[in-house]
Amino acid sequence: MKKELEKIKKEILDELENIKSGQALEDLEIKFLGRKGELNNILKKIKDLSNDQKKEIGRFANQVKSEITERIEELKGAFEKKEDSFVDVTLPGKKIKPGRLHPITQIQRELEDIFSSMGFMIMEGPELESDYYNFEVLNIPKDHPARDMQDTFFIDKKDKDGRYDTVMRTQVTSIQVRAIEKYGAPLRCIMPGRVFRAEDIDACHEHTFYQMDGFMVGKNLSVANMITLMKEVLAKIFPGELKMRTRPGYFPFVEPGIEIDVSCTICGGQGCSACKNSGWLEIFPGGMIHPNVLKAAGLDPEEYNGFAFDIGVTRLAMMKYGVDNIRLFNSGDLRFLEQF
Amino acid sequence: MYLSLNWLKDLVDIPSSLKPRELGDKLTMHTVEIDSVETQAEKFNNVVIGKVLEVSDHPNADRLRVAVVDAGLKEDLKIVCGAPNLEKGQMVAVALVGAQLPNGLVIEERAVRGELSQGMICAEDELGLGDDHAGIMVLEKGAKIGKPFSEYLKLDDVAFEVDNKSITNRPDLWGHLGMAREIAAFLGVKTTKKFKKILEAKMEAKGPEELDVKVEDKELCPRYSAVKIEGLTVKPSPKWIADRLSAAGMRPINNIVDATNYVMLELGQPLHAFDADLVESIVVRKAKKSEKTETLDGKARELDPSMVVITDGKKTIAIAGVMGGKDSEVNENTKDILLESANFDPVNIRRTSQKLGLRTESSMRFEKSIDPNMTVIALARCLEILKETCPKAKFTSQVFDESNFKLDQGPIELNLSWLAKEIGEDLGEKKIEETLIDLGFEIKKDKDNWQISIPSWRATKDVGIKEDIVEEIVRIHGYDELKPENPLVPMRSSLVNKERKLEADVRDVLSGACHMSEVYNYSFTSEDKLKKLNISPSGYIRLANPITNVHTLLRQNLFSNMVDNVKTNQARYDELSLFELGKVYFDTPGNINKYPDQEDNLPFQETRIGLLEAGGKQEEVYRKLKGKLEYLCEKLGLNVHYGVSEMIPDWADKETYASMIVEGEEVGFIFKFDQKTLGGLGVKKETAVAEIYLPKIISLAEARGDKKYQEPPKYPAVERDLAFVVDDKVLYNDIKEEIESFDGLVSKVELFDVYQGGQLGSGLKSLAFHIEYRDSQRTLESKEVDDLQKKLSKSLQDKFDAKIRDF
Repeated sequence: MKKELEKIKKEILDELENIKSGQALEDLEIKFLGRKGELNNILKKIKDLSNDQKKEIGRFANQVKSEITERIEELKGAFEKKEDSFVDVTLPGKKIKPGRLHPITQIQRELEDIFSSMGFMIMEGPELESDYYNFEVLNIPKDHPARDMQDTFFIDKKDKDGRYDTVMRTQVTSIQVRAIEKYGAPLRCIMPGRVFRAEDIDACHEHTFYQMDGFMVGKNLSVANMITLMKEVLAKIFPGELKMRTRPGYFPFVEPGIEIDVSCTICGGQGCSACKNSGWLEIFPGGMIHPNVLKAAGLDPEEYNGFAFDIGVTRLAMMKYGVDNIRLFNSGDLRFLEQF
Repeated sequence: MYLSLNWLKDLVDIPSSLKPRELGDKLTMHTVEIDSVETQAEKFNNVVIGKVLEVSDHPNADRLRVAVVDAGLKEDLKIVCGAPNLEKGQMVAVALVGAQLPNGLVIEERAVRGELSQGMICAEDELGLGDDHAGIMVLEKGAKIGKPFSEYLKLDDVAFEVDNKSITNRPDLWGHLGMAREIAAFLGVKTTKKFKKILEAKMEAKGPEELDVKVEDKELCPRYSAVKIEGLTVKPSPKWIADRLSAAGMRPINNIVDATNYVMLELGQPLHAFDADLVESIVVRKAKKSEKTETLDGKARELDPSMVVITDGKKTIAIAGVMGGKDSEVNENTKDILLESANFDPVNIRRTSQKLGLRTESSMRFEKSIDPNMTVIALARCLEILKETCPKAKFTSQVFDESNFKLDQGPIELNLSWLAKEIGEDLGEKKIEETLIDLGFEIKKDKDNWQISIPSWRATKDVGIKEDIVEEIVRIHGYDELKPENPLVPMRSSLVNKERKLEADVRDVLSGACHMSEVYNYSFTSEDKLKKLNISPSGYIRLANPITNVHTLLRQNLFSNMVDNVKTNQARYDELSLFELGKVYFDTPGNINKYPDQEDNLPFQETRIGLLEAGGKQEEVYRKLKGKLEYLCEKLGLNVHYGVSEMIPDWADKETYASMIVEGEEVGFIFKFDQKTLGGLGVKKETAVAEIYLPKIISLAEARGDKKYQEPPKYPAVERDLAFVVDDKVLYNDIKEEIESFDGLVSKVELFDVYQGGQLGSGLKSLAFHIEYRDSQRTLESKEVDDLQKKLSKSLQDKFDAKIRDF
């Protein structure tokens, strides 16, 4: 039987030497290696052999089969190259439609990366927030204009004094005191999220938008530290030559309060409609955390201080991507979303 | 608010070399945000002087005439005009095509009743110079044709537009005087003699008459000052006063009203003049229930007892601090006035003006907590201004002045080394002292510890703690002048926010391999929407003050808004694959505290992951979505299967609603929308959605811990396929469980084909499984596996009435 195998092996290899076309090769493959091919006919007989022989012949048979198969495959490759028609390499591949991340998600990630690289942790908080964390701890007294009905969405539930005590948070600054309560000081933290204002919606106004606040608390922080860090962040957000200026601003939860403006990214500082002809874009408010806020968070303002800042993420996305209609972000319109 | 440069120059020595724009920038950098700097001449761009050469009747209109005007241009202009006083030979102000008048009107070339009009001949009110609209403004004969109208008016002032929001905390900056003090401080120049003279004005009442004034509510009216002035004649104000009022954005009316406005714009103290003949006595009290009065603007106002009014003992003559009454207003016959200069409670004024929807120059100032010390100074200043037009004007009564206020003027303790630390730089004792003195603070020094007294105009609410003093010093120094210095902190890596990280992974998987696009939808829904979905709104959290009827309730799922995304896009896309990560809100207590130390918790809120597939063939949408869901779970290391839900909501297709289960916990749900529901929502595509409860996923992923390497099995597995037909109501879960548990050697069970309908006939389905057998200690013999397969087939036949298919 071994001889039989040797013989068929030689026969096949000889024929293979003289083969001329891919079709002939295929025919040959069926003739010898097919289910009812000659090699198989021989192999079927193995079962009649003794156990010892089975082992020996079986191994040899496999060796023969693989040798032949290898040769056939080799030739196949050669024929295919020769015979195949012209390949238009400029044809596109099979279309795969990419999924997209929402532009706000993308901007948020950029910002989170910047702050993470500086050792800031990321903390989120509840969107439906108590009046206490949204206003009271932030040094916004009961009759501050920001509490007016037209600015805040109140939840239709009153406390025992007959006042609405929960709101859709109007600012992510509401997380600041929660963060300090949870992690103590020193701490550096950013707080991204969705915020709400009871405003009618048009191309420039939304009742639902995104902010990212950040803050640092510690024992030896200064106004100079705050400005240096905020400018560093701005330089990362707007790479390239960009002028910045720092001026006073007023926010109840900081003292002193500042605003850092950047030269208008659209007109380069010449004055245009985007910057209301001032050449500057108001982009980055901040300030030293008000002692009352530190106290509310359980820190002694004589021992600790800190600074906080806020980035209007939706506004930044509008500036960065040149979006002139704020409604698009919550529209679910793929003609918009697929551009990012 | 607008500032007049000429006015400021009265009060502070602004160097002539400083350009207005530079002054505007400096104001922005040190004190308040300046929105624009505009020369007064700019207001009249494209308005020139012209001469009326001819006047003829308009062919198509009785009241109109057509003038030919020489405006110094190459060709004479034809202008249609309706003014009755138009005459040949007049010198007039002509607004050329392209001009934008102070009242906002843009001049264009157009046909008026069929006649071409190439400009406009202006009336006083159109130019913002008065309220005369009886006819066009006729200029003096000497006016030069073609010259800019601003030159004729001798306008040389510059107006700075202040962003009012940036002075909400600065009551002292609602007048030129306060601004002048700031300018002196940051420019390092002196205020003028006039500045001091105004503030040092002493009231020397000349008349014997005692005014009959009674302040009933001293809480809400901490100070009330009043005096009688006689010897007045109502006439127009002199040009310089009118010009300044115009530059500051106020329309000149007459000398008396203008004088009160002038003082308000200068000192920030609102005044009100009553005609003394119409008002005999004054009572300040709370309004009565449903009390009605007519205000200066001619509108009837209904008051309530929270509001403060000024009455003459019988009727209401003013809403305190907001607006005067029609009955007692200064009119053309007024000779004597009762001049009120008061201080009212800021919160009360703000609420009153809100309730009435009436915000005035006066209420805007009172609600900022202005300095009550200014009332009498303002009375004196007003007399001075009145004397410009009526030299015989004088006080003819004693000054009534009753006050009930106390300001906390400190002192604030300031330690200089603390200050340097807080600022991050030592600015030097001299600089600090100068700044504070310039701004009106007083300093008592004890080495490095300074006692700082707050000036009255900053003590009402603005300055009270040492951090406020930091602000004063740094802003006058200039924030950008500080030396940059990075915070020095221990280099600790930040805590990882696992939830955020997982959210990011989910987004990457879904937008990546799952080819889905991310949408953001509103957090709100409405009764109407819920009705279409057959959901009862009763358990939903409601907004107290919704602004639109489509956003009245807080959403409890993502799919009800996501299904709208299909509607938005269905006309342009065959198939849609969307996802969203967002919060849902429930009216049960959650796990986030409302206050730091109370048990009370906020309503339950959690983040959900919503997935949506729409379009394509019926069954495919559902299975495609399941595939993505399973892929996501596998990427997160979670083994998900589906459970039959007992409660099937109405909006779901009954046969497709299933819960998602990971390690025995329900982590979400999946379903295909019911056709009828989709129809009601206007959605035309087959739509399936799934929602995953993110917090559940997070805790499961965390419990799973770190991945551990497992050695690949030493002995080979034997694979067998098994296909069979069962009743279509037999659940895959049950069959799978049966196969898995049937023998210890079964190591993997995988469904690779499902077939329904066609030759099978209805009510049946064909399932095909790969089954893997493996023993960790030895190689399995093919015969024993064959035996197991037989046993398995038998058990499936017995348990599920399965009919094994032969290949």
